Amino acid sequence: MTGQWARRWARWCLHATAGLGLVVFTLFVLGPLIWLILRGFAGSWTFPALLPDHWSLRWWQQVFSDSSLAGSIQLSLTFAPVVTVVSALICLPAAYAFARFEFPGRRTLLISLFATNAFPKTGLYVSIAALYYTLHLMGTFLGVVIIQLLGTVVFMTWIPAAAFAAVPRSLEEAARDVGAGAPRVFFRVTLPIVAPAILVAMILSFLSSFDEAQGTFMVGVPNYVTMPTEMYTLVLNYPEQAAAVFAILLTIPSVLLLALVRRHIMGGRLAEGFQLR
Amino acid sequence: MQSAKIRAALLASPPIILIALFVGLPVVSAVLYTFGHTGGMNSVVAQIAQHQYVADHWWGTVGAYRNVFATGSFWHSLLDTVLVTVCATALVLVLGGGVALYLRLSGGWLSKVVSLLAVVPLFIPVVIASYAILVFYAPDGFVGSVCQLLGWPDAPVLSYTMVGVTIGQVWVNLPLGVLLLSSAFTSVPDVLIDAARDAGAPMTRVIRSVLLPMSALPAVIVATFTAISVLGSFTVPFLIGPSAPNMLGPEMANTFGPFNQPQQAEVMAVVVFLLAVGAGVYYVRANFRASKRSGASR
Repeated sequence: MTGQWARRWARWCLHATAGLGLVVFTLFVLGPLIWLILRGFAGSWTFPALLPDHWSLRWWQQVFSDSSLAGSIQLSLTFAPVVTVVSALICLPAAYAFARFEFPGRRTLLISLFATNAFPKTGLYVSIAALYYTLHLMGTFLGVVIIQLLGTVVFMTWIPAAAFAAVPRSLEEAARDVGAGAPRVFFRVTLPIVAPAILVAMILSFLSSFDEAQGTFMVGVPNYVTMPTEMYTLVLNYPEQAAAVFAILLTIPSVLLLALVRRHIMGGRLAEGFQLR
Repeated sequence: MQSAKIRAALLASPPIILIALFVGLPVVSAVLYTFGHTGGMNSVVAQIAQHQYVADHWWGTVGAYRNVFATGSFWHSLLDTVLVTVCATALVLVLGGGVALYLRLSGGWLSKVVSLLAVVPLFIPVVIASYAILVFYAPDGFVGSVCQLLGWPDAPVLSYTMVGVTIGQVWVNLPLGVLLLSSAFTSVPDVLIDAARDAGAPMTRVIRSVLLPMSALPAVIVATFTAISVLGSFTVPFLIGPSAPNMLGPEMANTFGPFNQPQQAEVMAVVVFLLAVGAGVYYVRANFRASKRSGASR
């Protein structure tokens, strides 16, 4: 009898711990975001209340009426798709080659892409500035695209490469046996199988470009001030609520994308890309 | 066959050329600059730099290194950087591993919610995340307000501290940890777990002897990527951390910008780079060993 009680007690403890862990975890992840969203709609707020005294859309009007802020939103939404498409054009053929062919230095080159992450960005940008002056890329559209492109290469090559490598050759051979030509095999058999991985890579590239602030600031200012670069100024110089509004706006595209690709990302597409073969 | 190889190498070359030109070349030139080579690409920055050491031997000079290594604040920042990196990496492994284990061993809507929560940070721009975390843990933020309401007005404030920076780093790097580890746990077949359970092993034993050993490689990958991302980070410590001494990322930016000492900033970058390469070597070796093993078993 006591054994049963002890077991029930132990199970209750386990559930309580798990529940508490879940609450803390939710608070850890979502707490800061929810708190920020509340700030964006706050008219006035008295410490230490957990909700604003009254709500207001004043800060939204202020942000939308500021033309430099609206312009930066438009710029961000221009750069991110351009960078994503250019990155796909450059990296996807390479991903295919890395996955399907054995050539000298294949692995070394695949790993060397990773070097982009190893040298600290701040130091890299200082040095890139010199190169940009030489190539007359400072303050140009192309210059910003290249800077943002650097952060996307690793995803755009590694993740699709892993997917191309995982396509069963027997499927392609079967299609060829029944008379399909090489392009037809590629577009009707191979591409549909790797499409989710390419989608994940493109979304990550979009986010990486959309998120890039430090390099864009150095290369683009004053001609091209994107949302994240503007965010630095906002955080340091504007009232907290304006920054909160801007933060919410900056997060909207990301949340939409999250809803779109969550299934593929959780399905291990991203994880496979990080195991080098 | 030879021409096919050449064609493949050509297909693979565009991203390699991009990285070689815009990362490789600047890195080499930055390293040369730290040794006092002020010509070529470095001539523009060398014209405005202060406290610059110019090469006096054919190989250069270690003046800039000596200069940086002689300041106490550099060592303080380096120690902060290493401590935050070690703590954040360990926390990402433990927390990410815990979430991934939970996802593997339990089903239902709750685990779906948890899996969605865990990837949220991947989709939030780092600037926003850092700012949100700063405000959340500030004295007048949520944590401060709750402590005040609970009658604990002197609760420690985490914003503008290295603890706050560590929290931010864990927040930003958690999704990769959860994704890689949960994919590793998923690849362990149910049969293995059931067999161990049938043989009478308690759940803790199953986790320790079956699930954890089979996810060693992904754990190394997570640790390496987290460590490298934290080592080179700028935004998280810049926004959440104290103005000084902080991690080497913001310290570098200060040395370059306000102090106008690009050579010293690059010396710091090289130090961080060496640390990151150390972590990277570990990653590459683990991958090589794993692929050799799977090659042998085939």
